[in-house]
Amino acid sequence: MSERVCIIGGATTPFDYGATGFESIEGGAADCVRETMRDLPEFRLRDLDLMIYSHFSVHFGHQLAPEWIIHDHLGLAGLPHYRVENGGNTGGSSLYAAALAVMSGHHQAVGIVGWETMDSVSQSQGSEFIALASDIRYELLVGGIYPIYYAAMANKWMKENHVTEEDVASIAAKNKNNAMDNPKAQWYRNDHRYITVDDVMNSRLIAYPIKKYDCSLMTRGVAFMIVCNEAYAKKVNPDGYVTVDGMGLSSCTIRAGDRINYPSWKERYGPGYPDMTEFAACRNSAEQAYKMAGITDPLHQIDFGEIHDAFSTSEAQIYKALGLVDGEHVAQFLRDHSTHMDGQIPMNPGGGLLGYGHPVGATGLMSSIECYYQLAGMIPRKHLSTKTQVPDPTCGIVNSHAGTGTSISNFILRRA
Amino acid sequence: MPEAVMEKARKKTKYASAPNFTDKKQFRPTGVQETGLAFVGYEVSEDRQVMNQFLHYDQLYTIRHGKNSPFFIGLLDGKIMGTRCPRCGTSWVPVRTHCWSLDCDLVETDWVEMPLTATVHTWTVAGWSGRSSLKRLPIILVYAIIGESSVAIANELHGVKPWDVEFGMPLKIVFKPKNDRQGVITDFHFEPADGWRPGPMTEEKRRIKELVDPVYEWVKTLK
Repeated sequence: MSERVCIIGGATTPFDYGATGFESIEGGAADCVRETMRDLPEFRLRDLDLMIYSHFSVHFGHQLAPEWIIHDHLGLAGLPHYRVENGGNTGGSSLYAAALAVMSGHHQAVGIVGWETMDSVSQSQGSEFIALASDIRYELLVGGIYPIYYAAMANKWMKENHVTEEDVASIAAKNKNNAMDNPKAQWYRNDHRYITVDDVMNSRLIAYPIKKYDCSLMTRGVAFMIVCNEAYAKKVNPDGYVTVDGMGLSSCTIRAGDRINYPSWKERYGPGYPDMTEFAACRNSAEQAYKMAGITDPLHQIDFGEIHDAFSTSEAQIYKALGLVDGEHVAQFLRDHSTHMDGQIPMNPGGGLLGYGHPVGATGLMSSIECYYQLAGMIPRKHLSTKTQVPDPTCGIVNSHAGTGTSISNFILRRA
Repeated sequence: MPEAVMEKARKKTKYASAPNFTDKKQFRPTGVQETGLAFVGYEVSEDRQVMNQFLHYDQLYTIRHGKNSPFFIGLLDGKIMGTRCPRCGTSWVPVRTHCWSLDCDLVETDWVEMPLTATVHTWTVAGWSGRSSLKRLPIILVYAIIGESSVAIANELHGVKPWDVEFGMPLKIVFKPKNDRQGVITDFHFEPADGWRPGPMTEEKRRIKELVDPVYEWVKTLK
């Protein structure tokens, strides 16, 4: 019998870039743990029996095994620890690892600390560091930055699904405006303004059809959360824990151009899929998570989501990959503002990567923590108002996404 | 093992062979040095509460191409070398040195010279890029299928206005002059196939032009 997996709490540092972000990684981690302790007075660090560290690139700190610095700073020497790295899906993959550890019955309570310090080098150098996760022999020299690969994929997807620049711009405006209700969000802390679809349309070209405001933010930030079995959840947070009822993890090619005829996808989904347009690993991992959680109609059984909006275009592509809507109806789904706060299934009420920020190793944890806050009824305490509170949610989805869709995880969280 | 073979093994002085690299070129800009790790400065806030420190590091990496080498040597020779599975017949550029089909048990693939023609699978127009590419903006990036390849390869498209790119347009592969080639992917780029003409102005083309025009202006301001 496998153990039920629960989330009982977590917190992030404020997400910043440059001048406003100056905390050390171990200082930031301690801040997150202390905030979690204030939310959970019964939680003691000595109750943890495993630590998982979620960090993408050691290039940003020029420190190998930087998790060792955080771990002993937290007073945890002697506790087992290891790091998980899986590109942009590092946070999701860490949650997956923690959930497996609890599910197996081998660990009772697992702490996850995730972080990235992307402002330790210049912005253009930072973009290049991230692009080192593309195939450096074939793609780094001709693309150079990730938005170019995403734009090439989105351009074809938007044409085939009759989605316009304005349609995806409404996603960008939605998430950045949601972030204006979140004091830890980078968009709130730095840019600090409400924007319109026109603002997005008029922002500078990055790679057609993606403009500056269609892009997520580069960020310095740290996150911490606790994953545990139900006995410990009931002991420490009996009225406010959530359960991880479904999870899935899948993979795709590193180079987007290599997936148009990939044999294992042909075997699963038939020829012509995913082309360069669909996130097959998202569909595949969502199917795993839905099956585990008994979800057959995601649009109606899931109340909201915190998903990986690295670009406004990819958020739209993810709606389809999650099975919320098909290609024929996705454009209307966007025009109906179905994922805005007052829509059928609000997406990224916390601001997402476009608004909250994208410190890679902490990102999936940030999404999980925001999803947890919604389900645990903590939004009035954590956000500035109840504008970004999903009304009485019982089920949320967390999505974490890497590379050009190269690794993707999905989790179904439910209020216990 | 027979005693004679054991004896021979004991007397052997080389246990692995190393290639003899005779054709060696360096394109490293002059003045770039491997200085190693050094703390090179700091800043302290006015209230002396917060400190940032500057660390510099510079290192030359050797990317060893191994089984992939014929592709990159092909670039030096102005050829696109692909691979083909001897069992299922699938071919690739970018190359795979072992077949990706789980039915082919990682069989080693054969090298084949590919035609210098391709077709656009998808495309984008970049108005922003890494530091080293800024002055070349706007850049048209296409994913194109070379010959019968089962995968699309990314590279730049030259010789066409950014708003005139089309899905499915026929391309030719153009190499840099021999002496400028470095055995890297940018040794070649795509150009429209001979005889291709852009279609008429459309609403989308006008939109792309509107987005790209400021990029041309901005690039002029770069030193």
